[in-house]
Amino acid sequence: MLLFWSEEHVEKWCKDWNLPRGEVIPLDKCFSLAQAWYSPDRREPEWRRRNIDEAEALFSELGFTSEFWRLPR
Amino acid sequence: MDAEQERIALDKVVRPYVYDYVMREGLPPTIAETSSALSRSPDEVRASFQRLADGHILVLQKGSGEVLMANPFSAVPTPFLVKAGDRYYYGNCIWDAMGIPAMLKQDAAIEASCGCCSTAMRLKITNGSLEGAHGIAHFAIPAAHWWDDIVFN
Repeated sequence: MLLFWSEEHVEKWCKDWNLPRGEVIPLDKCFSLAQAWYSPDRREPEWRRRNIDEAEALFSELGFTSEFWRLPR
Repeated sequence: MDAEQERIALDKVVRPYVYDYVMREGLPPTIAETSSALSRSPDEVRASFQRLADGHILVLQKGSGEVLMANPFSAVPTPFLVKAGDRYYYGNCIWDAMGIPAMLKQDAAIEASCGCCSTAMRLKITNGSLEGAHGIAHFAIPAAHWWDDIVFN
């Protein structure tokens, strides 16, 4: 997951690397995702990784609802 | 306690130790440091690191079995340098770089660059808010395949 100056720079990067364009998201949405994902304290012995349903529910809550955000089952 | 329960109990000590260490020091601990701090053998720590990696909590360096990533932190320099307080950290990607202040619960500045042209891009996070950031994030790989090659991702 990389940072880009603009959509044009994403397009050029995808062309240079011969990769299809993935999902482009505004930085404030990326920040909301990062905050929600990493706020739980991993130093707590009882912390556990979100399961697939929980992770997809979080994505959905933040507006990431396309097929791109579906996790493997 | 049977062997499986003992392994689970050890992992519940190793994971907090790794995260406490990396949050304090900026880099994850080595197998030797973890072994010494927790009074467990290097083989026990190595096996615990591997179980945590199997659970997608850590990513290990090939060959040595040392920690490469304790997400969101990287053990090696990346284009995502995060300064929080008087400490520097490396994020694995832009998502992780933004996750570091969330995990530390501190203000931070992220010194990053455009993935295409390497133009310097600075993001600032203050009081839990992203301030005046320019740019966009690109997720190249669909979520279903993130762990196929997490280092590339």
